[in-house]
Amino acid sequence: MTSQDMASETEAETDDDSLVTTDPGKGGLDENDDRGSVAQTGAGTVIESRDLDVFYGETQALQNIDLAIPENQVTAMIGPSGCGKSTFLRCINRMNDLIDIARVEGSLTFKGKNVYDTDVDPVALRRRIGMVFQHPNPFPKSIYDNVAYGLRIQDKTENMDEVVERSLKKAALWDEVSDRLDDSALDLSGGQQQRLCIARAIAVDPEVILMDEPASALDPIATSQIEDLIEELATEYTVVIVTHNMQQAARISDKTAVFLTGGELVEFDDTDKIFENPESQRVEDYITGKFG
Amino acid sequence: MATKAPTQTEFGEVSRIKGIVFKYVSFVASIVGILALGVLLAYVFWDALGLESAGTGWYLAYTGTLLVPLLAFFAYARTRPEVVAGAFELFSLTLAGVMLTVASVIILSIIASPAVWFAYFLTVVGPLLALFVYGQYEREATWVGLAMLLTLVAGPVVGTLGLGILTTLGSLLGSPGVYFLSLVIPGAALAAFLAAERFDASRRLSLGIGVALPALAVVAVPLVDTVPAISRSVWLIALVMLGLPVGYAVANTARTRERRSAFALPVIAVAGFLAGGAIVDAIGATKPSPWLDWQYLTSSPSISNAAEAGLYPAIIGSIFLIVLVSVFTFVFGVGAAIYLEEYAPDNGVLGTATRIINVNISNLAGVPSVVYGLLGLGIFVNIEAQLGPLTYGGFGVGTVFTAALTLSLLILPIVIISAQEAIRSVPSSLRQASYGMGATRWQTIRNVVLPRSLPGILTGTILALGRAIGETAPLIMIGAATTKFSPPAGLFSKLTAMPMQIYAWAFLPGEDFRYGVVAAGVVTLLIVMLTMNSVAILVRNKYQQEAN
Repeated sequence: MTSQDMASETEAETDDDSLVTTDPGKGGLDENDDRGSVAQTGAGTVIESRDLDVFYGETQALQNIDLAIPENQVTAMIGPSGCGKSTFLRCINRMNDLIDIARVEGSLTFKGKNVYDTDVDPVALRRRIGMVFQHPNPFPKSIYDNVAYGLRIQDKTENMDEVVERSLKKAALWDEVSDRLDDSALDLSGGQQQRLCIARAIAVDPEVILMDEPASALDPIATSQIEDLIEELATEYTVVIVTHNMQQAARISDKTAVFLTGGELVEFDDTDKIFENPESQRVEDYITGKFG
Repeated sequence: MATKAPTQTEFGEVSRIKGIVFKYVSFVASIVGILALGVLLAYVFWDALGLESAGTGWYLAYTGTLLVPLLAFFAYARTRPEVVAGAFELFSLTLAGVMLTVASVIILSIIASPAVWFAYFLTVVGPLLALFVYGQYEREATWVGLAMLLTLVAGPVVGTLGLGILTTLGSLLGSPGVYFLSLVIPGAALAAFLAAERFDASRRLSLGIGVALPALAVVAVPLVDTVPAISRSVWLIALVMLGLPVGYAVANTARTRERRSAFALPVIAVAGFLAGGAIVDAIGATKPSPWLDWQYLTSSPSISNAAEAGLYPAIIGSIFLIVLVSVFTFVFGVGAAIYLEEYAPDNGVLGTATRIINVNISNLAGVPSVVYGLLGLGIFVNIEAQLGPLTYGGFGVGTVFTAALTLSLLILPIVIISAQEAIRSVPSSLRQASYGMGATRWQTIRNVVLPRSLPGILTGTILALGRAIGETAPLIMIGAATTKFSPPAGLFSKLTAMPMQIYAWAFLPGEDFRYGVVAAGVVTLLIVMLTMNSVAILVRNKYQQEAN
């Protein structure tokens, strides 16, 4: 199946898979709306935050974040531990909702719709924004069932075998597991497990893939496989990746956001610019290893 | 040495005396309990089985024919893990089959009459099975789960309302007909399915197995009729409940070449038993005269003649109780644990309420059972309330239903706490993965949390049920009989339970009662409890293997 076929399939499916469950006609995100709002927020911007503040109880984790993430590119977020980059990532698909004490102020739009509006169903949102976590976390099920998990819960069970195969191929894992799809996913190596998690995320054809330090628990070889994969994925998906590894950000990303302690976004620009000629002295110090 | 060579570094020595003392104190502490239990068990078994009266010839005969060959087999199997696995599977599945048969006979033909069982089979069990099978084949049919839930709720209501008509239907079929339709036919389908899926048997062979089971059930009837102890109903139940597990174990063992020598275990056991009997008869050695025998298990209690005393009504009463208690505690206990762990808020006013509830559940787990007995007496026996046209006057003194509710209240806190622990131990990374895929909370609980925590939940529940089956104090408080001469006939008839009967016998003046009969009762109670625990262990191992 070519990518064009798949794109048309996505379109057909997202029509009835609207983000808003209450009243799809009003303010909902169907394909037509998307085009309009993308034009409004600047060409190719998928996710945009304005004055975003996040609090955990009394502690403020993010301050006034303004950020526009471009479509079909890799956007990296770097910064020292505890600077809020993962928090920002989790704001995008509202995973922070799972933490009782987290509170979000300001706006964060996905294709022109503020995801924190009261009529947005976070479950529907997460079905369009996939996520890969820091530690590989496959379910204790077979390899096949792991990839099929999202398809099953979203009732996309047509041609499931094909979709599973295609996702594993895209995640560069098919050749290694094609003859043992019924084996437990926990028997795979760490790097394979992480690629399986990526296959699981792309099986349901999300529009954006969020990655929270996807290679930090892996050895250098597995890391480079994951990096190659991310570059592949960026041709079809918008990828947002949090990483501790500055070289990694420099290698794979088109845009880089630097967060520094206190939850501030200090600089956000093209990756080349950030690494060669940053505007802020603090960013330069951080990148050259003077602190952090 | 170091002292004579001052240039070398002196490390000195660190005292380990405290550590060594601590280690041995801990060791003794852990041994004391086990030893005490071992002594008690040996003592009770000695009395219950009447081993004292057996002659030396008897011991020698069975040592030679049974014990020595068995030890030889173990020595042979020790270095062959495949043989051990095969022998364990044969042994455990046969044992499980026997227990399943006994439980099924008691539950499906003594507690619930065949006609009543058939009524609920038609309205609850049958539709559930059909929906489950359909759901396995049509994975896209998402309504199946909902339909199963509906059947589970509505089925019992329909069954109870239509009990009159449905039992007539069951009576028309006769009890063998009922078991043939409700057990043998589904059992045959299961056997055919297992043959095809697990053992990769050809289509024809698995179909043959599916047809052979019902055929065997019918063809063997004339043979069964010649044995007075086995009725046609018992034959049909045993064919499914014992035949299927044993058949599975045999097929699984025969399939692997290295495992085949495991068949020596059942051969040695049976042949050794028969040979031992023959030798004992031949040399005329004195056999033991056990208190725990078939007569003991099948007759009513006696308070005058120890030789005629039996535990039958109490066994049926206890099993009836345990079935009801397990249904109540599983539904309410697991439900409460899921709500408290997955849904209840952790913060704010409601979070405080959750914390108060959690602390109080822990406290309730420590409340003495006699207090629960008083609670049961208060709310299930004595309270009378008028709600419009409805009058609630309790469920009767010492009835099965009152006892089951009281015991359920008693173990509910333990079940909730252990289920909470099991749910909490599911790594949050798995939950996150599921939510990140766009799963709803219910989908996450159903597909990720419950499968992973089920072994822990089941273990905790079954251990708690083991406690419930041995309780005496709450039963005394709600007025259960200590001695009853017939088993309970229904939910609202009076019962006695095994611990109650043992308690009553322990105060009789006759020495035979106080030692022999009581010991036999204790052994019976222990066997039922240990069986439940071993089921718990088997289930836990099975799910743990699946989870890994």
